[in-house]
Amino acid sequence: MIELCDCRKTFISKHAQAPVVALDGVSLTIQTQQFVCVLGPSGCGKTTLLKAIAGLLVLDSGEVRIDGAHVAGPGSDRAMVFQNFALLPWADVISNVAFGLELRGAPKAEREAKAHALIVAVGLSGFERHFPRQLSGGMQQRVGLARALAVDPDILLMDEPFGSVDEQTRRLLQEDLLALLDRTRKTVVFVTHSVDEAARLGDRVVLMTPRPGRVQEEVDVPLPRPRPTDVELNPIFLERKEYLWQRLQAMQTR
Amino acid sequence: MLGLDRRRLSLPPDVQRWGLRLISIGVFALGWQLLAHRMHSLLLPSFSETLTALLSLLVTPELWQALWVSNQAMVLGFGAAVFVGILVGFLMARVRAAEQFLDPYLNILLVIPMGALVPILIMATGLGLFTRVLIVFSFAVVVITVNTRAGLQTIESGWIEMAQSFGATERQLWRQILLPGALPAILTGLRLGMARAISAKLYVEQIQLALGIGRLNQDIQGGFDSANLYATIAVVVGEAVILIQALKWIERRATPWTEPSVVE
Repeated sequence: MIELCDCRKTFISKHAQAPVVALDGVSLTIQTQQFVCVLGPSGCGKTTLLKAIAGLLVLDSGEVRIDGAHVAGPGSDRAMVFQNFALLPWADVISNVAFGLELRGAPKAEREAKAHALIVAVGLSGFERHFPRQLSGGMQQRVGLARALAVDPDILLMDEPFGSVDEQTRRLLQEDLLALLDRTRKTVVFVTHSVDEAARLGDRVVLMTPRPGRVQEEVDVPLPRPRPTDVELNPIFLERKEYLWQRLQAMQTR
Repeated sequence: MLGLDRRRLSLPPDVQRWGLRLISIGVFALGWQLLAHRMHSLLLPSFSETLTALLSLLVTPELWQALWVSNQAMVLGFGAAVFVGILVGFLMARVRAAEQFLDPYLNILLVIPMGALVPILIMATGLGLFTRVLIVFSFAVVVITVNTRAGLQTIESGWIEMAQSFGATERQLWRQILLPGALPAILTGLRLGMARAISAKLYVEQIQLALGIGRLNQDIQGGFDSANLYATIAVVVGEAVILIQALKWIERRATPWTEPSVVE
């Protein structure tokens, strides 16, 4: 279980006079093995929230706890998937996937075996020795996903992972992600600005408002798992999507 | 893409490249030969005379002795420049105070012409090997420093964040992210530094000190032996080309990921 208690984080900005309040009194509880989507317009602190859980930043006040323990930095129970993939251009696919394992001191044979299995799982077998720049955006993110899964984390933190690929690729990646997670249930915190994506993937959608970044509302999406591929015909999906869409619009015209 | 699509002959790329290079050299040699015959001057040797002079020069011990003297300064000065340049580049990229303290000197060294700095260094430190080492060092070290610093500063913050999210220690961050991330820029710096080192060395020897190859050159010049003069120049140019190409080759081998490649 992930708990955020009254988290506050400000940044000094060169452009703004006053510090930008990225998170303002954010409290949130995420149950183990729940898939939570964090939805909101850009600049609402979604990524800051994710980094706080990852332990990549120091909060001004408040606390993040995982299973009751205070989060002071990154830990082996969490792994992150990045919007711009953050692959190392000098390393081939298998070394990129094995990167987290390498940092944790796993022997070469073990980490390559594990990495290979995940490369197969994300549908990239045959590309082990390719460099990232030889791959399309969708394939690069598959590498990013495999790298995160390779360290076998309990919690997967995903920062708009499918934001920079085309619509078709995005749908394929979403389906493959859901299929992978059906096999190994994990707690997922998934940041997105797509209403469709949030309703399609999440058990619960956390709506955030910008300036200052606050949690506005939490919306349950009571759809069965595994999610059917024709979920777009499901009335619950359609109704939640429409509702979220309206809330988001109200936020932006406010 | 259409605008960039250059026309190609329908030959295998390697055959075309080397073929055209050879033809280019042939045309140049022929033009030279014809021009020299036409002018029929003591001061312009023909291509064939120069080639003959070059071949006989290559077997004289004087040439190799001269090259040895010339390259002592090169090896010591460039070696020191690589060591100091990379070290200072890292320091300036990571420590703000070092950056602010050293940046003015770096800028001066970067823009100062050889003709301005070299006489000062000769006057201050004499005519020995140390002076030549210092001159080669001063001209090479700047670009190596600047490139190393730029290589580190332009490392994507996303890579560092990613490594930290997997719990990388400071040591692992250097070894796994900062060093490989800066390597392409460092190697480019070495190549540019080498080019500057070569010109500094030649400038000192040919114009200022008359040592090594420069000495040999001036002896020949005094005797109006134009074919031999051209031949020594060819040796000097040849050495420069070989050194630069060797560094290019190392660059390509050490950083294969920077080469443009196509999705297969």
